[in-house]
Amino acid sequence: MAPARVVVIGGSGFVGGALCRRIARAQIPVLAITRQQIDLLADGAEKQLRAILQPGDAVVAAAARAPCRSLDMLVENVKMTRAMVAALKDAAPSHVINISSDAVYADEPVPIDEETPTAPGTLHGAMHLAREIAFRSDISAPLTIVRPTLLYGLEDPHNGYGPNRFRRLAAAGENIAVFGAGEERRDHVWIDDLAEILFRILTRRSIGVLNVATGEVHSFRALAEAVAGASRRKVAVEETPRVGPMPHNGYRPFDIEATRAAFPDFAYAPTIATVAKLQTFAEQ
Amino acid sequence: MTSTIKHASDIIVGFAGMTHLGIVSAASVAAKGFKTIGYDSDSQLVGRLSAGQPPIEEPDLDELLRANGARQAFTNDLSRLAECDIVYISYDVPTDDRGQSDLSPIVGIIEAVAKALRPDGILVILCQVPPGFTRGVRAVPPERLYYQVETLVFGRAMARALHPERTIIGCADPDAPLEPRYEALLSAFGCPLIPMSYESAELCKIAINCCLVSSISVANTLAELCENIGAEWSEIVPALKLDARIGPSAYLSPGLGIAGGNLERDLATVIALSERFETDAGIVRAWIDNSRRRRDWVRRTIMTALLREKPEATIAVWGLAYKENTHSVKNSPSVATIMGLPETRFVAHDPVVRASAISHARLTGVDSPLAALEGADALMILTPWPAYRRVGVEEIARTMRGRIVIDPYRLLDPRAAAAAGLDYYTLGSRHNPSAGIL
Repeated sequence: MAPARVVVIGGSGFVGGALCRRIARAQIPVLAITRQQIDLLADGAEKQLRAILQPGDAVVAAAARAPCRSLDMLVENVKMTRAMVAALKDAAPSHVINISSDAVYADEPVPIDEETPTAPGTLHGAMHLAREIAFRSDISAPLTIVRPTLLYGLEDPHNGYGPNRFRRLAAAGENIAVFGAGEERRDHVWIDDLAEILFRILTRRSIGVLNVATGEVHSFRALAEAVAGASRRKVAVEETPRVGPMPHNGYRPFDIEATRAAFPDFAYAPTIATVAKLQTFAEQ
Repeated sequence: MTSTIKHASDIIVGFAGMTHLGIVSAASVAAKGFKTIGYDSDSQLVGRLSAGQPPIEEPDLDELLRANGARQAFTNDLSRLAECDIVYISYDVPTDDRGQSDLSPIVGIIEAVAKALRPDGILVILCQVPPGFTRGVRAVPPERLYYQVETLVFGRAMARALHPERTIIGCADPDAPLEPRYEALLSAFGCPLIPMSYESAELCKIAINCCLVSSISVANTLAELCENIGAEWSEIVPALKLDARIGPSAYLSPGLGIAGGNLERDLATVIALSERFETDAGIVRAWIDNSRRRRDWVRRTIMTALLREKPEATIAVWGLAYKENTHSVKNSPSVATIMGLPETRFVAHDPVVRASAISHARLTGVDSPLAALEGADALMILTPWPAYRRVGVEEIARTMRGRIVIDPYRLLDPRAAAAAGLDYYTLGSRHNPSAGIL
């Protein structure tokens, strides 16, 4: 069921770029649509996008202003979503994948799975949930909603707290500062694993909702130590006084049974080893 | 927890009954990338389908079967349906001459397929059944039983199957989410899904056909008036279609009554239900009367124009199928016209239907439209096959002996026909030589 062509909206972004490379490796035609080609915030964006889409395309919606931290950004994201949905509505795609986020879930006392009720507590989560609902209600093509948790990888543009920031600090010879004792335990996904899952979803035309999380949780301290240990520079892990409560109470695990059932032959890269490997690679 | 993601590539779809509906539906599902298994007890038919030689004519069907390749399997082994996630019942429901359905074969097939179904298999009744039928099925639990409205249009079946306007689904509980595998299959067609109760879906199919019949009846009634008062139905239709309440796709071409069998069955069902529940169906009876009257238009016209004076005349007939791009002659106006004139000599051509399929003592078949015209006193074009449009009126006038051309569907240009010296008759036109003048 490999699609005749995959169109990745947001093809030069962190997720879109990794996916385009994975699709190209399989020699499936892929078209990356970047902000330079179509500004989804511009008037008439949906017409431009509609003109590019061909019947039978598989389309991945990987464009967003993220993380969404303000009402202005929320409005922009809604506008971008409106353009994408309007273009897709009558383009007769064979498959649509919306890249969402695990931010649509609240914190739960038990590991989160796909049947956990969505209850976002942030604008970022609210943005993604609104976007999911818009895709669900307005697009009649087969739809997959993918909700990745924290992503890391060499091309990460955000420099967020975690492996991405730690890697840059170490490479610059700076000590790695963790909040408090770095005791928060979270699930981190390597971007290439997300790209692989998306690729499998595209080639098997998998439909429904899937969280993308490894099922492992690691403390930020352990990740920082892995980065420091793999770096050629002499860097230390420093604790800093914590300001405010820990996000997610410092613990956000996932139950990934749905991924195992859907893709039994897929295994996530082990987080600590991959973080260390990437550090070595980046510094070479 | 259960996986919330389904791979469309893993879903196997079965079809019990390699009828016109079954062949077309299976080909369209396979074209969307699903594996399909088409079951039929007729091993000869299964052999033909396996060899890519379908017994039916539909534009693009042969190419699609070739393109689907190994994704489409055909079998006469019922137990192979156990491999399927979803099995469609795609047998025809037989109807008698009065449009009454005989449901007993379908009941037997559903029971047999249900036995072969795997424990989580979904059964979808695709053949048309009357309101109340699906809820009475006990062989499969209601959460795995659906009725899906088919919208087969002979001659345009592939296009409609591949690009449906919407899918109407009868469910035990329309508020419950569709079974994920069934939803994954239906969503591949990229059209709105409209779940409703079994009964609503069963009646919805009939409602669609009633709307079509009502439009056809309007066209037929007023086209007949046009023929007598000097008006031109073809001039009126564009004005109607620009009325938003009527619409650009409205069925407003006059024809020779309601053909094909399915519409009559639905009208018969409405009348039967109205008798049972004491509701009004007067308008439905009027549609049937109108249809019968218009079906006889060709016979009345040829009798008046030729046969009363010259009963020994030879009449060329172009087209035997009930409409273009199909091999079906069920309720064909052409066949009804021929059979209504048992003493008349006919020479017939049809691109698909053999004349030997029609039991008329004085009917012979020929291989080309022009061959039918040799020595003919009149021509009747009774199926609007596109090939007939390409025959020039001058050539028709040169080849046939007589001058009379009866062309209800207006395949020829009326003015060109008149200019070529032909006495040209068509539906809804003031050009008919017999048209009254006010």
